[in-house]
Amino acid sequence: MSGLTLRLKAPANERLTFKDITPAKLAALSSHEIARLNVGIEKGGVALGDAFEISGTPGDVLTVEGATPTLDFVAFGLDSGTIRVVGDVGHYAGRKMTGGKLEVQGSAGSHLASGATGGMIHVLGNAGDNLGGIVSGDRFGLMGGIIVVEGNIGARAGEKMRRGTVVVRGKTGAGTGTRMIGGTIWAEGGLGPEPGLMMRRGTLIAPTVDSLLPTFVDTGKHDLVIVRVLARYLKSALGQLAPKPMPLFVQKIGGDTATIGRGEILLPAA
Amino acid sequence: MSKTVNGVAIDDTFAEAFGMSGTGIIITADTLKWARIAATVATGFGTSVIGCGAECGIDKELSPDETPDGRPGVRILIFGFSPDALVPQIRNRIGQCVLTSPGSACYAGLKADKSIGLGKGPRLFGDGFQTAKKLGGTRYWRVPVMDGEFVIEEETGLTTDAVGGGNMLILGTDRAGLLETAEAAVDAIAKVDDVITPFPGGIVRSGSKVGAKYAGMFASTNDAFCPTLRGTVKKTELAPDTLAVLEIVIDGLTSKAVADAMRVGLKAVTDIGAKRGVTRITAGNYGGKLGQHHYHLKDLI
Repeated sequence: MSGLTLRLKAPANERLTFKDITPAKLAALSSHEIARLNVGIEKGGVALGDAFEISGTPGDVLTVEGATPTLDFVAFGLDSGTIRVVGDVGHYAGRKMTGGKLEVQGSAGSHLASGATGGMIHVLGNAGDNLGGIVSGDRFGLMGGIIVVEGNIGARAGEKMRRGTVVVRGKTGAGTGTRMIGGTIWAEGGLGPEPGLMMRRGTLIAPTVDSLLPTFVDTGKHDLVIVRVLARYLKSALGQLAPKPMPLFVQKIGGDTATIGRGEILLPAA
Repeated sequence: MSKTVNGVAIDDTFAEAFGMSGTGIIITADTLKWARIAATVATGFGTSVIGCGAECGIDKELSPDETPDGRPGVRILIFGFSPDALVPQIRNRIGQCVLTSPGSACYAGLKADKSIGLGKGPRLFGDGFQTAKKLGGTRYWRVPVMDGEFVIEEETGLTTDAVGGGNMLILGTDRAGLLETAEAAVDAIAKVDDVITPFPGGIVRSGSKVGAKYAGMFASTNDAFCPTLRGTVKKTELAPDTLAVLEIVIDGLTSKAVADAMRVGLKAVTDIGAKRGVTRITAGNYGGKLGQHHYHLKDLI
């Protein structure tokens, strides 16, 4: 497996942006051109070769070593191949991804996978606020793909999310699925307070929820075929990373009835 | 020149079959019993495109491991003249027979480059309360119904390389023995994937010829194979001792599947052989000018 490795030389004096740095785009450039790519955000610019030691040859995998939370937009627009990050990433990682895989061995900042339509993101640590959420100027949050976070995530995950699946091994922050339009968030460690504010459609799955909005309604215990379909899909797509299946019967909490109320929070039936 | 196997004469002729459009659909339910019920009803009145609009049948039963929702299921196949002809057939059969069946769900049963709507019509039964769930590249519809939710995939695969009308005619001197032999052949064919035998129990007793003396009849009885007309019609195909003829018609998603089905069907007939009164096997064709697919019996034994 050929690939390029970027090792951060020293903590940067400014935030760095990885927009347009994907395996496919680097493969089309010469080593000279790669080293001259601007990863700075300020007027003077920062050349990739100045901030990182570059080794290996461009290929299907791009490895970023020594990454810190000052590194934003990692895997922005990734369409194929793999970006492996040893360390943490900053904000907007996986933004507008359409395919390929982003693997973060540390934690991610806010707005992970915003506007992504495909691909797979695996974060071994935690993720910040607005995971799969909306960015000002966008119409929707997450629109496809699968995100797996082994730790906890911040507030308002999946805001205006339309499609795609988020699996969180830990717990979500407040307001998960706010204004959600579709898709699935499965939090194995439980949902934080008041999920689904103004949620239209979509599915939130968890063993527990801290508190419910008064506009959510208990529709009773159900044996839902779609939960089986979802579990099997995640098993085939994620293998070992798939969440443990829910019990046969789930308590379906419908809402938000302050809007059309076709969304649902699924909890294990008592 | 005919060839004889186990006392059964096999004509040197061929089955002439036609190109069709076909699709596969998986129907699941809480139990195999209810998956079978939904599948049986959905494939009912689906013997011949001439009068039924589609030719349908059950391809096979699926274990929970083989279905998208981990419940027992049945795969059905539906064949029609064209993709356009299949659209109302799928919509009506699924809408009236699967949506209505307790605990059922419905999924694509064929992976192909082309696709055809499966849940596009039935989802509207949800009257706006239906929701979609897109997982990977597949969109599922959830239609609220009185026993929970009817889950149906939006599309299923479509092939325009399907084959309809693979056939064999089995002639014999004992009607009961002939029926048993034909049943054995249908059972053997049922083990072949991607094929169905759309007629009742897989067997046709009313083989037809093209056209009729009456205006508006596209097909009429194949008088040359009717034992009660032997000697009274211009041309009879039957030997003096032949008492009955039964036909097995095979539709398949691929030409190879139809050939495989004919091969195992012929073997089942010849294995039983003359001891149950089977005397001869032949096949139906129109001189080779109408159908694109020719299955020569001698190549299949």
